[in-house]
Amino acid sequence: MKLPLLPTTVIGSYSMPEWLERAKNDYLARRLSKRDLDDMHDAVRKAAIKDQESAGIDIVTDGELQRDNMIDYFTERIPGVQVDLGSKRFYYDFYDTEVRSKLGTGSLHLTDEVKFLKTYTDHATKVSVSGPHTLVKRIRNSFYKDEAEFALDLGKALNRELKELSRAGVSELQIDEPYYSGFPEDLPWAVKAINAATEGVDAHVTLHICYGNRYGKPSFEGSYKYLFPTILDAHVHALSLEFARRGEEDLDLFKQFKAPFTLGLGVIDVKTQDVESPALVADRIRRALEVVPAERLVVNPDCGCVHLPRDVAFAKLAAMVEGTKMVRNELGK
Amino acid sequence: MIVHINHISQAKKGAKKSQLGELASLVTGSLVDLVESGQLDAKIAPSLRIHLDWIQYKTNFRDPVTVRRTTDASGKPLALAELAIDLRQCQADKLPAQLANAARLIVPKSSGDNRFYLTSYQPFRDCIIWDFNRLFWRHLGEWEAASGKGFEAALPSGSSDANRPDAVKESVEEFWKLLKDLETKNQLPQEIPILEIGVGAGTRAAAFIDLFQEYDQSRGTTYYDRLQFILGDYSPDTLARACASLARHKDHIVPSPLDALNPFKALQQYRFKVLYVHLTNVYDNLPFDDLIRRDGHLYLVEVRAYVSEASVQRLESEFGLAQKDLPGAMQRLLEGGPHAVFPPGDEAKGVAFWRAFWDCFKLEERLRALDDRDESHVPPGLTWAHLQDLLDEAPEDVRFHISRGAAESFANTLPLLHPRGYLQVQDIFVEDMDEYRKGFKGPGKLDGSLVVWVNGALLRAVGARAGYDVHFRPFTFRPGSKTSVMYTTQKP
Repeated sequence: MKLPLLPTTVIGSYSMPEWLERAKNDYLARRLSKRDLDDMHDAVRKAAIKDQESAGIDIVTDGELQRDNMIDYFTERIPGVQVDLGSKRFYYDFYDTEVRSKLGTGSLHLTDEVKFLKTYTDHATKVSVSGPHTLVKRIRNSFYKDEAEFALDLGKALNRELKELSRAGVSELQIDEPYYSGFPEDLPWAVKAINAATEGVDAHVTLHICYGNRYGKPSFEGSYKYLFPTILDAHVHALSLEFARRGEEDLDLFKQFKAPFTLGLGVIDVKTQDVESPALVADRIRRALEVVPAERLVVNPDCGCVHLPRDVAFAKLAAMVEGTKMVRNELGK
Repeated sequence: MIVHINHISQAKKGAKKSQLGELASLVTGSLVDLVESGQLDAKIAPSLRIHLDWIQYKTNFRDPVTVRRTTDASGKPLALAELAIDLRQCQADKLPAQLANAARLIVPKSSGDNRFYLTSYQPFRDCIIWDFNRLFWRHLGEWEAASGKGFEAALPSGSSDANRPDAVKESVEEFWKLLKDLETKNQLPQEIPILEIGVGAGTRAAAFIDLFQEYDQSRGTTYYDRLQFILGDYSPDTLARACASLARHKDHIVPSPLDALNPFKALQQYRFKVLYVHLTNVYDNLPFDDLIRRDGHLYLVEVRAYVSEASVQRLESEFGLAQKDLPGAMQRLLEGGPHAVFPPGDEAKGVAFWRAFWDCFKLEERLRALDDRDESHVPPGLTWAHLQDLLDEAPEDVRFHISRGAAESFANTLPLLHPRGYLQVQDIFVEDMDEYRKGFKGPGKLDGSLVVWVNGALLRAVGARAGYDVHFRPFTFRPGSKTSVMYTTQKP
C-alpha cells in the first residue's frame, strides 16, 4: 500500500473509556462474562479505528483497547509463562508472573488483530508487540541463567509471532521497549534480543523507545544519548522516539551517528491534555527535517493516548495530521 | 432501632464499669422510657439510629445530643433519622431531658429548639466554618494577642511537627541518598527542584536547606549548587517573610504564590521535574465534605449554623448585641475582620466578640440522599471511580470525610513529580476506612481555627489511579504524636 510522504501513525493504545475500565474491573471481579467483555472490546476497537480514519491517520491500529496493559496481554499468551490470575483487582495493574521452564513455541494468536483490522479498515495497518527487554523486566525469572538469556528466548518467541503477523498481511510491525531508558546498561543484550525477534521477518519493523507512559507519566528521565552507538546494531527499519514532551535536543544524535533508520518522530505530548496546534506540529516536523530527510520520517505521537479523554486524543491526532499536511504542502507533496 | 458505638478504645483489664458504659445505659433506658410514655413515636423507632460518640475536641460544633433527619434531594423528609449523643459532653442528670427534647425534634415539621439560625443548610465544603478559618489566618496576630499565646501553642505538641530537627535531618538524608543514586546512574538532572507547599515563616525550609548544604559539603557532592527550593504559599506576604528568613540561600529559593488546591497551575514548568514535595498540616486545613452510607444508600451531610438561646443571651449581655443584630455582626466580622464589628475605638471588643462567637456557634446537621446522577461531592480532578474505590473498602454503615481539598491538592501535585520524585505529607490521617467506625475525626475547634482529620484512604485511591502507592508511617519524633507521615512510591 502506497503511503504519502511523512506518513502519520499512532503508538500504543487509544483513549481508554472510563466505562471500559469499570467493565474490565468487573470482569476481574467475576461480575461480567468474558463474552460480554469481548463484545465491548470489539465495539471500542471499531470506534478507535473509525476515529483514526476520521482524524486522517495513514497507518492505523485497532486501538489496542482489548489489552489491559502492555505486559499482561503478552504474558497471558506466551507459552511457559505462569500467570497468577488472582493477583490483580484493577485491570491496569500487572499480574504476578513467573517463568519456571523454557518457553514453549506456541502461537500468541495476535493474527486475530490483523484479521480484525482488515475487516474494518482499508488503510495501511500496524500491530505492536511488547519487546523482550520490557517483558523480562516484568516476569519473575526462575529458569534462565540471566536476563539476557531469557530475553533472547522471548525474542525467538516474538519472532515466530512477527512472521505470522507478516504473513497475515499487516503493513507495519512495531516493537515497544519503554524500559530501555530505565536500564541503559542492558542495551547490548537487549539489542541482541531485538535482532532475534526480527530475524527473517518480511515487514517494516519499527522499534519504539520512550520514557514510559504508565498512568500518563514518565517512568524514567534522561537523554537518548545512552542509545548510541549500540542501537545502530538493531535490525529494524525505524526508531520511534519521544520528542514532543522532552524537546528536540536529542534529534541531533541521528545526525551525529549517521543513524540509518527511519525516524518515528514524536510530535504529540500524550502526558498533557493541552492540544497542540497544527502549526506547532509543523514546526516540530520542520526541525526534524533538518536532521532526517522527509523520505525517512514518520509522524506519530510520543506514545499511546490511553490516558487521555477521547475528545482530547482525537483532537491531538487531528492536529497532528493537519500539521503534517502543512509540511507536505511546503514540500510540494 | 440500631445503636452504633462510634468510639472504641481498649478498656483496662479488670476496670470497673466505666462512666461511658453507665451513660450508654442511661441512653437506652431513657429511650425505652420515651417510647413507653409515647414521647417517642413507636413507628419512628425502627428507622432510628442511635450514635454513641466521644468527641475528642473539647470545643466543637455539636451539642451533647443532636438530631439528624434525612431528606431527599429536594429537602423532603425521609424516614431514616439519627440521634447522636456525645458521651464526653453529656451529663447524666441532664441526659434524659435532652433525649426527650431530641425525640420531639425527630418528627418532621416539629417546632424549633429555641435556636437562632445563622445560615441555611450547606455542605461542609461551603459552610461558614471556612469563613471563620480564613478569618483566623488573616487576623492571626489579633487572635494571638487576645489569647496570649501563639497558635502553635494550641497544637497538641505545643509547636509544629514540621520543624523538629530530627525529622528535618531524616528528610535531608533521605533526599541526599536519592540524589546520590540518580548521580550514580547518570540520571541526576541539572537542576534539583524541591517544593514545599504552605511554607509559613520559612522555618522548616531554612532548617532543611541549612542542613542540606552542610550535608552536601561534608560529603563532597555539589548538589547544593543545583538546588532550587520552591517556596509555595497562597500569601505573597507570607512568601516575602519566608524569603527574608532565607536570604542566605537567596540564589537557591524560588518564591511561588500558588493555590494549595492546584500547585500544578502555578508550576507547570516543573512538570515531572520536582524531586521532593513536602507539606505539613496543609491538608487538614482544606475543605471537606462528610458522606454517610446507611443500608447501601449514600447521604451528604449538610449543616446550618446556629446559636442557642443561652448563647444569644450571653452575647447580648457581653457585647450589647440583640439577637436580630447577630447576623449583621457576624457578616461584618467575616468580611471586614474583628475591627469592623463595632464602631472605631472598640477594636479589642471586636476580637473578644470574635472569640466568644467562635466558641458558641454550633452546626445542625441533616442528611441529604444522593443519587447516582449527583456528583457535586466528587472533588474536582477526581471521578466517581475514585469514590467507588474508596467505598469498596469501607464498612457498610459508615460516616466518613471526603477530604476534597486534600484530594484535589494531591491530584494536582503528583504531575509535578519527577519519575523518581516523592511526596511527603506530615498531617493527621485516617489511614483506613475502618478507622471511621472507631472514633471521631473532626471537625473540631482548635483555638480559633479548624481541625479535621484527612481521609488517607481517599488519597490512597487517588494515588493508585495516578500510578503511586501511598503509604503511612508514624511520626516518631514526638512521643504520643497523632501525626503520620504520608509518602508516595511509584507503582511498579
